[in-house]
Amino acid sequence: MSLISSLMTQDHRDCDHEFALAESLVARRDWDAAAKAVNAFAAALEMHFSAEEEQLFPRFEAVTGMTHGPTEVMRGEHADMRSIIANLKDALARRDADDFAGEAETLLIMMQQHNMKEENILYPMCDARLATERDALTEALGQRITRKMPA
Amino acid sequence: MSSANPGLSYDDAPPFSVPLRYFLTAPLFGIAAGALLLIDGNALGSRWSPAALGAVHLVATGIMLQVMLGALMQILPVVAGATLLTPLRTARLTHPLLAGGSVGLSWGLWQGHPGATLAGAALLAAGLIIFLLAAALAFRRAPSARGRSDTPRDLRLALIGLLVTAALGVILATTLARGLSLPIDLPALVNLHAGWAWMGWGAMLVAATSWVIVPMFQITPAYPQRLTRIWAPSVLILLALWSMAAIASLHGIGIALAGLLCALAIGFGATTLRLQARSRRSTPDASFLAFRLAMASIIAGAVAILASLVTEADALPLLAGILILHGGFVGAISAMLYKIVPFLAWLHLTQARIKAPNVKKLSPDLPVRRQLITHAAALALLLGSVFLPLLSYAAGAAIMLEFGWLLGNLARIVLAWQKAGGRWNPAAAAEGKKYV
Repeated sequence: MSLISSLMTQDHRDCDHEFALAESLVARRDWDAAAKAVNAFAAALEMHFSAEEEQLFPRFEAVTGMTHGPTEVMRGEHADMRSIIANLKDALARRDADDFAGEAETLLIMMQQHNMKEENILYPMCDARLATERDALTEALGQRITRKMPA
Repeated sequence: MSSANPGLSYDDAPPFSVPLRYFLTAPLFGIAAGALLLIDGNALGSRWSPAALGAVHLVATGIMLQVMLGALMQILPVVAGATLLTPLRTARLTHPLLAGGSVGLSWGLWQGHPGATLAGAALLAAGLIIFLLAAALAFRRAPSARGRSDTPRDLRLALIGLLVTAALGVILATTLARGLSLPIDLPALVNLHAGWAWMGWGAMLVAATSWVIVPMFQITPAYPQRLTRIWAPSVLILLALWSMAAIASLHGIGIALAGLLCALAIGFGATTLRLQARSRRSTPDASFLAFRLAMASIIAGAVAILASLVTEADALPLLAGILILHGGFVGAISAMLYKIVPFLAWLHLTQARIKAPNVKKLSPDLPVRRQLITHAAALALLLGSVFLPLLSYAAGAAIMLEFGWLLGNLARIVLAWQKAGGRWNPAAAAEGKKYV
């Protein structure tokens, strides 16, 4: 039995690790490696967001009829995080480590309070309300975020 | 909101002023506690001195309770989907009751005025009952689907611990003022009150939030599930058994149970320190270090209590109280405030569709670091004054400085929020987006 919450929570942690690597490299002023790490983190996060927005949330909305509920809030928070990612890349381009650190700290808190809501509330609701299609949906989501699945 | 998706609309976002009133009031009680030590040089002569009792309650009800309730209003919707129905009204009722109650209780204990003590306890109880009813309603409306985290369950248990602590406090205040006859002697009842406050409420709340906060915000491995699953229920069961042993005057069993509670506190603190040592974030900031100092203090405080169970040294209960209250709880609370207040400022600006400065622009590192160094110095002076009473004046001054600075740093964030376009009027904010 696969759980949507297990897969997506693990993906949150994997994104966290990519974030920490990028943050560390900027703190060390290793700009070339930092640029790669920031891009890798941003790509991982974007893949997670798009898997939710295009696959998971539409199924949740279809089954529950809630289009203005938690998924709408999550989409809004995704937009805010995309905006901070743009600020991060801007700070990186300017090689402004202090500004990067401030944007990174803001993103981390925003990201984690968002993850808490998903992990404690939305994902368990998805597992419960999408029970009949859960296995297939988990597999499809897993394929979408496959870069982090073990080879 | 339909009953099928309770607590999930996130549309009941408390305005910034709701948690902020608690957060900005707390340092004022800290300043008062420092002033009390400055005025009354004998405060740390004994755990039973009137000034020590007054100072302890300024910290416990004036700082801890204020900040914890303010933070719970923000955290409950996020980790448990439990949104208070009317956060602004709840805050308007509970905040003055709690603040007034803390003043009355602490003043009464310090000045030996049982009427003020009882009035303070009654106000605190009234404020708490309103908050706990609002929280209980919020939990009832929360979604039933459960995540893997033990945090929502343990937050509920911490509120039970708080309720027991408050009930014991009201019984104590009534005994002092009206001479209730009790099935247990007064010092034993005081120990029960303190034990429930320490582990059943304070440590339980810190642990419940740490289960999610430490791994997620400090990017550490997760707490072992075998620890998080049993820790809080074990604390509650041990506290209940320990209380029964005290009422039945089973001293040997009581000491053994208290020893087990200390072991749980040490286990929590040591596990947290071990996880933090494996943080993937390479640049620990002052808040992170302050949180580590708080965990070390929690361990040292529990060791002091363990030692006090088997020896009679007068210094041990004082050292334990200082380490747990100031080193542990005040340290963890300060570290948390420096994360939550700038983020809330940022969030409320963003939700009002204002381009928000990042959190480090709202709350620069340097004053935070300096204030937290003052906190560590005040802790050292407090511990030193147990052995060198003259130091208590310096400790009092350091505590006044510590909390004055904390207030200043928090006020700086609020001013930066206002300068960026933040407005107190919640109606204006309603035009923007609402998430938390």
